[in-house]
Amino acid sequence: MTAPKRTNRKQIKDKDFELVRAINSGQFDRFPDLVKRYEQKLYNFSFRMCRDAADAEDTVQETFLNVFRYLKDFRYETKFKNWLYRVAASTCIKKRRKSKFAPQRELSLDEFYPQNEAEDPQQVPEWAQMPLDKLLSNELLDKINEAIFTLPEKYRLVIVLRDIEGFSTAETAQILNLSDANVKVRLHRARLYLRDRLKGYFENE
Amino acid sequence: MNKDEHDHKHCLELFEKLSEYLDNELDEVTCQGIEKHVKECVPCFVCLQTLKRTIDLCKQTENRSVPKDFSEKLKEAIQNMPKSPSAR
Repeated sequence: MTAPKRTNRKQIKDKDFELVRAINSGQFDRFPDLVKRYEQKLYNFSFRMCRDAADAEDTVQETFLNVFRYLKDFRYETKFKNWLYRVAASTCIKKRRKSKFAPQRELSLDEFYPQNEAEDPQQVPEWAQMPLDKLLSNELLDKINEAIFTLPEKYRLVIVLRDIEGFSTAETAQILNLSDANVKVRLHRARLYLRDRLKGYFENE
Repeated sequence: MNKDEHDHKHCLELFEKLSEYLDNELDEVTCQGIEKHVKECVPCFVCLQTLKRTIDLCKQTENRSVPKDFSEKLKEAIQNMPKSPSAR
């Protein structure tokens, strides 16, 4: 006699499941509703990863074609959005490997250690103290976007998913097939890199 | 602690954990250790504040609008896909 299988799966609540189930039960005319729900978000994610509007369009299109192709394999064991971003991230990585542009490098913690700061380490700079709404400008936002673009891809993927798209560490790890520890390490280095770029911008202003 | 007394080994250990601290991903004892340290160590306090501001700014980056004809092109591509489950 075999012991009954124990299932420890948590019941996932997800606003997208109803729509995904409908599509998977044959209501293919509802697929455009799914596209409408995520095209804006995926376009921005892809633009941040590809750094090019035409490539971002192609990537989103390819992502949705892959989603349509593989949606029947979705097991409702994770939020649909996480699964969708997993498809999107993998499509972006493939797209980028095909492109001419792939400056990959490791970011080391040592290069960001505060000891090496040019500014006075004894004083919090004004840009880190003043109210956020007083500091924000289109120029500054452009600078941040530019700095994000210059991050090596593996760090950019993590910071975009965590700090811009708002996924948790565990969700980001699941999307990128990494350990939580690895996500944390990459996120910290990516943030320190951006911090250095911002410091440079404010010092030269 | 002044600049000359900066305990680099301790600072370096904490420096590695600053993002996790800001994300509330550390245990209480480690958090208390960081809070105690940054009260006494100005360079680490500065580092923490500038890192926190960097994250806040990153969250403010605006989304671009989808290009005008993009939704139409996407719709067309989806309409041209095979619709039957066997073809999927």
